[in-house]
Amino acid sequence: MEDGTIEQASAPLVELSDIEKNYESGPDVVRALRDVNLTIRRGELVAIVGASGSGKSTLMNVLGCLDRPTRGTYRLAGIDVTRRSSDERALVRNRLIGFVFQGFNLLARTSALENVELPLVYRGVSRTERRRRAERALGQVGLSERTGHTPSQLSGGQQQRVAIARALVTEPPLLLADEPTGNLDTRTSIEILAILQRLVFEQGITLALVTHEPDIAECATRIVTVRDGRISEDVEYRSIRDVRSTEGTRASA
Amino acid sequence: MTRWITALRLGALALSRARLRSALTVLGFLVGIASVVIVVALGQGASGSIGGRIESLGSNVVYVFDQPQALSGARKARGATGGLRDADAEAIRREAGSVSDVTVYSSMDTRVTTSFANARTSVVGTDLFYFPVRGFELSAGRLWTRAEERAKARVCLIGPSAAVKLFGSADPVGRSVRIGRHPYTVIGTLVGKGQSPFGQDQDDRLMMPIGTWRAHVSPTLGGRVHLIMASARGFERADAAVHDIESVLRQRHRVPDGAEADFVVRSQEQFREMQERIVRVLALLLLSVAAISLFVGGVGVMNIMLVTVTERRREIGIRMALGAEPRDIQAQFLVEAVALTAMGGALGFLVALGLVTALKRGLGWSMEIGLPAVLVAGGTSLLVGILFGFLPARRAALVEPMEALRHE
Repeated sequence: MEDGTIEQASAPLVELSDIEKNYESGPDVVRALRDVNLTIRRGELVAIVGASGSGKSTLMNVLGCLDRPTRGTYRLAGIDVTRRSSDERALVRNRLIGFVFQGFNLLARTSALENVELPLVYRGVSRTERRRRAERALGQVGLSERTGHTPSQLSGGQQQRVAIARALVTEPPLLLADEPTGNLDTRTSIEILAILQRLVFEQGITLALVTHEPDIAECATRIVTVRDGRISEDVEYRSIRDVRSTEGTRASA
Repeated sequence: MTRWITALRLGALALSRARLRSALTVLGFLVGIASVVIVVALGQGASGSIGGRIESLGSNVVYVFDQPQALSGARKARGATGGLRDADAEAIRREAGSVSDVTVYSSMDTRVTTSFANARTSVVGTDLFYFPVRGFELSAGRLWTRAEERAKARVCLIGPSAAVKLFGSADPVGRSVRIGRHPYTVIGTLVGKGQSPFGQDQDDRLMMPIGTWRAHVSPTLGGRVHLIMASARGFERADAAVHDIESVLRQRHRVPDGAEADFVVRSQEQFREMQERIVRVLALLLLSVAAISLFVGGVGVMNIMLVTVTERRREIGIRMALGAEPRDIQAQFLVEAVALTAMGGALGFLVALGLVTALKRGLGWSMEIGLPAVLVAGGTSLLVGILFGFLPARRAALVEPMEALRHE
C-alpha cells in the first residue's frame, strides 16, 4: 500500500459490500451487522444514526479498521482492507483515517501539542516537522494559544478541538467521529459541529459522524439509519444545513 | 530504530509519572542485583585469597590434629598414651622418611598486660623447628636459643597485631609483658603473616619455648601438645609424608588395622581442597539466594507492568487507533520494564559496592568488585527486564483498540 495508489484512486472512498459482523457472547452469537452495503463518496458528510444497540458503533469500528467484519469486503480509498493483519490495519488507520471520539481520548498529562503530534510519531515524522504540522492543525481549530495546555487545563469543547486537530494532522481522506458532541453542552456541540462542517466544505474531507441525536444528524448531507444491524434508511439531501443557521432556528424557537 | 527511540522516550515519560511505584519496584529488584554482585565479589575474592592463605601455612606442611574419640562411642581411657605428645613428634622425626622437620604447637588465649595496655591474645608454646616449618620470620630482635629452650627461660616473640595491641607504636623488643603472675621479656618481633585459612589473625600472638609455656602458662597439659606439624621433603612427597606419619602414629597409639585413629593427618593440599569445597558450597548457597531474590524482583517488575498495562488500556487504545502498531506498543512497555530493571541494577550495584567496601574494611573479608561483577550486574538486569517484561508487553500489544476505547 503506497501513497501513490491512494492518490490515484478515483473509486468511492468507502465501499462496504455485504458486511456481516458476529460476536460470540457466551453460548450465543450476536449478529451485530447484517447485509450492510454502503458507499461513501469523497467530500460527503454522512451521519450514521441509530438507537443504542442498533449496530452503529460496530459499523463505526469496521469503518475505522478497528475491527474486522466476519463476512463481506471493505474497500477504503480503493484498497481492500477487509482481512489485513493488525500491523497493516494500524498503518491504514495512521494513513487514511482520523478519529474523533466521544470521550476525547487525549493522553492525560500530555500537552495539546504532543497529543496532536502523536499520529505523526508513529509515522516516523521528524521532530521539527511534527511540531510545525501540529501547530498548524491546532491553528485550524482555533487553539494556537493553548498548545502547551494539558487536557485537564482545557474545557470539554477545547479538548474535543484538540482531538479534531489530532485527527486532521495526518491529512487523512476519511474522518470518523463517534458521538463527538456526546459529552458536550448544546452551545459547545454547535461549535464543534461547525468546525467539522467547515473541514468538509472547505477542505474536502469526508466525514462519517455517528450519533443518536437527530439534531446533530441534521447537519449532514446524508443520513444513514441503522436498525437491528441493517441499514434501514439512507437519505441524501440536496443541500445541507449550516449549523450556524440551526443555531439561529433554535434561538428563535 | 525510530521505534525504539520513541519507545525509550515514552518509557522514561511513563516512569517519571509513576515515581513512587517505579521507585518501589526498583527497590525490590535492587536487592536481587546487589546479592548477585556480592556473590561475584566473594567468588572472585575467595579464589584469589585461598591460594595465598594456604601458602601462608608454610611450605608442604602436614598437620597432625588430636581427635578425641568421644564421637565413636565408648572407648577405653587412653591414659598416658592419650593425645599428641612430644614423644610422638620425636618418633615422626626419627621414623618418617619423607618428613624433613617436625615441630609441636600448643596455644592458649589469655590476658596479657604491659605497661601500656592489657589485652587478650593467643600465647603459643612451640620449639625452634616451628619457624622453618611454618615459614615464620623475624622482623627485629632474635629467636630464643636452645639453651633458653632447655632452661625454660621467660622470653617471647611478638606478632605485629599483638604488638600494636599491647605496645601501641612503641618498640616491643626488650620490654616486658606479664602473663598471669610471670613477666616475660620480648626478644623479637615477627613478620606479619595475615589470616590463616581458618580466618584467624596469625599475627595476634606471643610465642615462647614449649617448655616455658608448660611450666608457666598452662601447667595442666603435661607432655601433651595441641598440634604436631611436619614439613614434607618436597611438594610431591606430601602424600607420602601423610602416609608415613599415619603409620608411625597408628603404631605408637596402638590403633588396630581398620579402626579409626585418635588423630588426623592433613596435608596442605588437602586443606586447599577442603577450603575450595567450602567456598564452592558457600558460593552456591549465596548464588541460590541471589537467584531467588532476582526472581522475586523480576516478578515484582512483571506484576507492576501488568498493572500498568491494565491501567493504561485506554492509552494503548488511543495510540493504536492513531496508528501505533502492536510492535510499537510492545516496544514501549518492554522498554519500560527494562528501564526499571536497569535502574534497579545500577542502584543495586552501588549498594553492593558500598557493602563490599564495608565488609572488606570492617571484617577483613576478601572480596573483589571488578569487571566480571559489572558485566554480571548489567547483563542480569537487562535479561531479567526482557524476560519479565515480555509477558506484560505482549499483553499490551494484544489490546483490542476498539474495546480499550469503548467508554470509561
